[in-house]
Amino acid sequence: MDINGRPNHIEDYLAQLHLGQWFGWSDSKNKMYVNLIIHDDSKSKPTEQECTDGLATMQSDFDTKKTNNANNRTSGKAKLKTGEALTDAEVEALFG
Amino acid sequence: MTSILKADDIQDSSGNNIINENANTITIGASGDTITIPSGATLSNLGTASGFGITEADMWRITTEFQGSVGPITANWERCDEDTFEKIGTGMSVSSGYWTFPTTGLYYVNWKATFRLNGETQYAYVHINTTANNSSYTERAISFGMIPNISANAYCHGMCDLFINVTDTANDKLYFGTNVQNSSTYTLGNSGSNYANATFIRLAGSQ
Repeated sequence: MDINGRPNHIEDYLAQLHLGQWFGWSDSKNKMYVNLIIHDDSKSKPTEQECTDGLATMQSDFDTKKTNNANNRTSGKAKLKTGEALTDAEVEALFG
Repeated sequence: MTSILKADDIQDSSGNNIINENANTITIGASGDTITIPSGATLSNLGTASGFGITEADMWRITTEFQGSVGPITANWERCDEDTFEKIGTGMSVSSGYWTFPTTGLYYVNWKATFRLNGETQYAYVHINTTANNSSYTERAISFGMIPNISANAYCHGMCDLFINVTDTANDKLYFGTNVQNSSTYTLGNSGSNYANATFIRLAGSQ
């Protein structure tokens, strides 16, 4: 995950699948799927495709949310100037 | 005229060693003895002195991030291994999250973790639990952080420390943990930088 929180590694997908230290890497300097290990026997190992697809979905969701947030901030500011009512999404984008 | 006394062995009247020289190694006293430097005297080192100062110093970190509260932190530990790092002495060992000291002594221990969340967690804290019987652990150090909801990823950290007087390496142990109010909170880990790491420094012999 980059400093802004955009997912950029399959570890970002794996970490949100289950709570706790259920997975790790046999070589922590090379965090590739081939080095993925499962510490918790009650959890199944996702396939490489699941990891790749999961990361792509997280990235898409992040980008969409970021775009929507920017749009809501812009529209919300405009409405504040004209006195129009804000949507809930605009309120959250402007004020948290 | 200067007198020269040649001897390899000086003993007290009971035959206990005071000074012994053997194969270029000079031994002063014996196990259990106290060697006193008198007030006003100076002990200076112009060569190499080993066994003085810090004899044990070590640092470990978590390599992989995880979500939620964990204690003991059992997995994904590694000793720091960048080019600029080196431990002193034997170093620590860890098994299933429980840490064993290499030798008795008074140790300074520090534990830091960095947290991330897109949302709100009222608390995210780190803690150190110790035992003197290798069984019953008590929380002895804790430090809180919190993350407000800013509709984006935000970060905080906790850092706590303690002294632990290790008189028995088989029984005096500790573990590290994190606890978060919002279970979606991540504890960060990285294999190239210390996002969550533990520091161990032996300050002196056991007290």
